[in-house]
Amino acid sequence: MRGFYTPVTKIRRQIFKKVAELAYSGNYAHVDELPYEIIPGEVASYRESVFKERAIVAERIRLACGLNVRTAAEHAPISKDFDKAISTERVFETPLVNVIPFACNACPVTAYEVSNNCRGCLAHPCTSACPVKAISIVDGKSFIDKEKCVKCGRCAESCPYNAIVKYDRPCAAACGVGAIESDHLGRAMINYDKCVSCGQCLVSCPFSAIADKSQIMQLILGLKGETEVIAEIAPAFVGQFGPLATPGRVKGALLALGFSHVYEVAEGADDVSVSEAEEFVEKVPGELPFLATSCCPSWSVLAKSMLGEDLSKCVSMSLTPMVATARVIKKKHPNSRVCFIGPCASKKLEAFRRTVRSDVDYVITFEELMGIFAARGIDFSEDNDVPMEDATATGRGYAVSGGVAEAVVSCIQREHPGMQVPIDRAEGLANCKKLLTLAKAGKRNGYLIEGMACLGGCVGGAGTLQPIKKADASVRKFASEAKLQNALDREG
Amino acid sequence: MKRLEVRVCVCTQCVMNGAMDIVEAVESLQKLKNQLRFNASVKVSANERICDKDADASVSPLVIVNGERLEGATCDQVMSRIISSVS
Repeated sequence: MRGFYTPVTKIRRQIFKKVAELAYSGNYAHVDELPYEIIPGEVASYRESVFKERAIVAERIRLACGLNVRTAAEHAPISKDFDKAISTERVFETPLVNVIPFACNACPVTAYEVSNNCRGCLAHPCTSACPVKAISIVDGKSFIDKEKCVKCGRCAESCPYNAIVKYDRPCAAACGVGAIESDHLGRAMINYDKCVSCGQCLVSCPFSAIADKSQIMQLILGLKGETEVIAEIAPAFVGQFGPLATPGRVKGALLALGFSHVYEVAEGADDVSVSEAEEFVEKVPGELPFLATSCCPSWSVLAKSMLGEDLSKCVSMSLTPMVATARVIKKKHPNSRVCFIGPCASKKLEAFRRTVRSDVDYVITFEELMGIFAARGIDFSEDNDVPMEDATATGRGYAVSGGVAEAVVSCIQREHPGMQVPIDRAEGLANCKKLLTLAKAGKRNGYLIEGMACLGGCVGGAGTLQPIKKADASVRKFASEAKLQNALDREG
Repeated sequence: MKRLEVRVCVCTQCVMNGAMDIVEAVESLQKLKNQLRFNASVKVSANERICDKDADASVSPLVIVNGERLEGATCDQVMSRIISSVS
């Protein structure tokens, strides 16, 4: 479903824009009107009732304001307890990613089913392929006994008519860590012990039943306030806001929104590359069998939990680019607030960590930022072009899969020419899990391991607006325009 | 061979409302040339604001296919408009 602009995308973005408008207007009593503006009229378009459509939108608005989701049993006007959202501080509490229970369609869990394509053929290889005798021929067609079926998929592979289909819940299929379970009504429920907040479920649910919390409201109130707010924008931003939004114009647009300065997170990434390179040269293979990169928070949480106490040290101790950049900013501007603008949900949770809280005050995604730009009617025009020229090529490359390892190796080889660094990398949490299993078994010793929770790397994050391929190309092009290759070139 | 010009507005509002997905959809038609018996050259331009800055949000995304304005355009609408104007 990703890669299409659907009614689900439309509703999500409209909500971001409406919440931004609400925050700018300061007319908070208006919040109860928003569902009527987003879902107008008397006729339901997607569900059985227009009331339900609005109730779901109402919960999504609450989440976008940073408030907790409510069940149908607790449903009430949005304005109830809304005061809590009206703040310049962080208001949201965990969990970050939420299923709106009454929006969930309670899709059946994974199963194999025989479709109408079945011809009841003489060969019926499906029965021969099944290891547990779950398939029989009933009324001239193949039939799967769900009690016996072990979901191996052999029948589907063997069928000459492609008549056996695998049925999956889209949220569960998108979740690489198996965190989607079911509640007592068969609706999706997130197991927060497993969830690493990558956000892929929320962009994969075709019923728009999953959403994460946002800080749009608090950020805008912060921008309206006295304290200066400084933006740090992740390297995946290039190309996200359309063809007119060149990097310099994005910077200009952010300044027009009221940010006092704009930093490239790629600058922090440059320092991280140097520090991870030093860590690798110093500790691998002596002290540590391998080194795993740490900049993707979903990956690093997964890696630490999978590797166990002994090996969790193999996940680099270096700061993430977000934190490294934020610390530089706070040092230069001690009385400022920092807003990280990035492609993903999990950075919101990283900023929530006790050790990071004082560094990063707000985290918003590109999609949320686009809602703010639209609410303010800010265009990306040539009169508002402020060149970005601080980061290096490899720092900017962090946003694409393989980019982090490449940056670290570039730093290692500059200090130790000719040194060979074996690399393995994975994108998508399911692939990350496989890689970690290999590493844990000792099969990646001596390696530098890069993991990214989203397919394509950061450009494939849940909070992005553009197709991954195009975004990947834009990021690489911008990286190639940098004057320096890596941070070590700077000193020389 | 027929020539067709498709202009897609890429102002902030239109990009948020899926303008780039429409560009993608129009470009994807090239791959279906055989199935569609499609013998035309389509020039897509998506590099300027076309819609009026004060226009109502319902105008967006704005697409112009050979001079014809499609307001609140969707991918399927634009693709079928292109195909019907060629055949």
